[in-house]
Amino acid sequence: MLEIKDLHVYYGGIHALKGVSISVEKGEIVTIIGANGAGKSTLLNAISGIVKYREGSISFKGEPLPKLPHLVVKRGIVQVPEGRLIFANLTVKDNLMLGAYLRSDVNGIKRDLEMVYELFPRLKEREKQMAGTLSGGEQQMLAIGRGLMGNPELVLMDEPSLGLAPLMVQTIFKVIKDIKSMGKTILLVEQNAYKALATADRAYVLEQGRIVKSGRAQDLLDDPGIKESYLGVKVNNRG
Amino acid sequence: MIQILQQLINGLSIGSVYALMAVGYSLVYSIMNFSNFAHGGVIMLGAYFGFFFVTLYKMPFWVAFFGAGICSMLVAVLVERVAYKPLRARNAPFLYFMISAMGASMFMENFVIATIGPTFRTYPQVFPPQPFNLRGIYVGRLDMVMFVISCISLVALVYFIEFTKMGKAIQATAFNPKASALMGINTDFVTIVVFALGGFLAGIAGVLFGMKYTVYPQIGSITIKSFIAAVFGGLGSLPGAVIGSFILGILETLVSGYMMSQYRDLISFSLLILILVFKPMGLMGKSSEEKA
Repeated sequence: MLEIKDLHVYYGGIHALKGVSISVEKGEIVTIIGANGAGKSTLLNAISGIVKYREGSISFKGEPLPKLPHLVVKRGIVQVPEGRLIFANLTVKDNLMLGAYLRSDVNGIKRDLEMVYELFPRLKEREKQMAGTLSGGEQQMLAIGRGLMGNPELVLMDEPSLGLAPLMVQTIFKVIKDIKSMGKTILLVEQNAYKALATADRAYVLEQGRIVKSGRAQDLLDDPGIKESYLGVKVNNRG
Repeated sequence: MIQILQQLINGLSIGSVYALMAVGYSLVYSIMNFSNFAHGGVIMLGAYFGFFFVTLYKMPFWVAFFGAGICSMLVAVLVERVAYKPLRARNAPFLYFMISAMGASMFMENFVIATIGPTFRTYPQVFPPQPFNLRGIYVGRLDMVMFVISCISLVALVYFIEFTKMGKAIQATAFNPKASALMGINTDFVTIVVFALGGFLAGIAGVLFGMKYTVYPQIGSITIKSFIAAVFGGLGSLPGAVIGSFILGILETLVSGYMMSQYRDLISFSLLILILVFKPMGLMGKSSEEKA
């Protein structure tokens, strides 16, 4: 569904992505794990058209992906950004409706709004509240709900569990599985490697702008190197 | 008592025109975070468009009025495309935008001096000079027209910003351009719409202002008044810009009426400095926290 080949991104003189190639198939949850500054957000932003790439190609459903953010959304790829970036000066409902900005199918929008409220009853209760008054967890729900309002085929999620209380982290990962069961495809970037690998079907490990490992999420969860570097488990290597 | 009411009404009338200028200023600031000093040039061109439409082309006043608004709108969008878009495209520092804005402003002023000439021109009498007599308070017809048109325009603008999809997109883009782009909002187009709105209002404000006083190439320097009003109300806040404009208009007429008209600008600028020192966010400005 999504095919990225040999992607290079530079910030001024800094070579942030050094030839990244990944693919995502329809209906999968694919996660990209890696340390801070490995280039995970850069990769998502390059897909979304927020960051320009110098070399490489991104194709979606067999066609090259446009490089302007609103055209990417139009093709069916929506990002739920890191730090949530909700519109604090607007109401919860306004935020959700902005997620459906490019749509004109009134009935579809209505149906999806109900779907989001079913997924997050808390948002329904706070519909008319200013989004800035929500708690961190509620804001994350709003950011995810707003993304779903665009009726995307592929959802890019950037650190959805960042800064949330453990209970809320559980909720968010459960929601990610729910979204998959709606038939949507998810590309998930996470620092919480354990949770991400436990939720995803496949995974890539990004280190300093390069993919260093990839495979089934379950296999990576059992990989000694991954355990030591990303899961904080001391592996007793007996040879 | 009558005299105070008289001054208040004059103040509201001039304040409403400041408001037309200040909202355009504020809108651009809210989206792009810089003070668009080219706004004054657009106001000045609006005054000239209206003047020539009425005198040279003998258009009916209202046709000339809206024609001037639309022409100014095009100029404002053109300025954005030529002077700001290339800077936005490569994330230039805000100082560059300011310099570009001043350049555009000076270009427009000197363009008019070179082609039309530096002379002062007076609009023909469009509205009869006899004022209305409201229980002993005299209200000039032009003042009345200025006030009514400005208020209608401001209400229409607020409706557009608060209740339409594009209005919400403008608010979203003002709050966070990146998040807006991720929602599928074409932020470049939103920027054009904002300049078009600001340009139209600047154009009709220019016509009203030119009718009230005279038309000359430096009339755009009036934009500094709308800047003061916008800063006073809180840059980037529309209600703030409107309230700031009315307060400034009333303050100015009171100073002219009860002290000396020479003190008028002195007081206005003192006010600007006082606000910047003691309440830099203005009455209703966005706090930097909110912006983050």
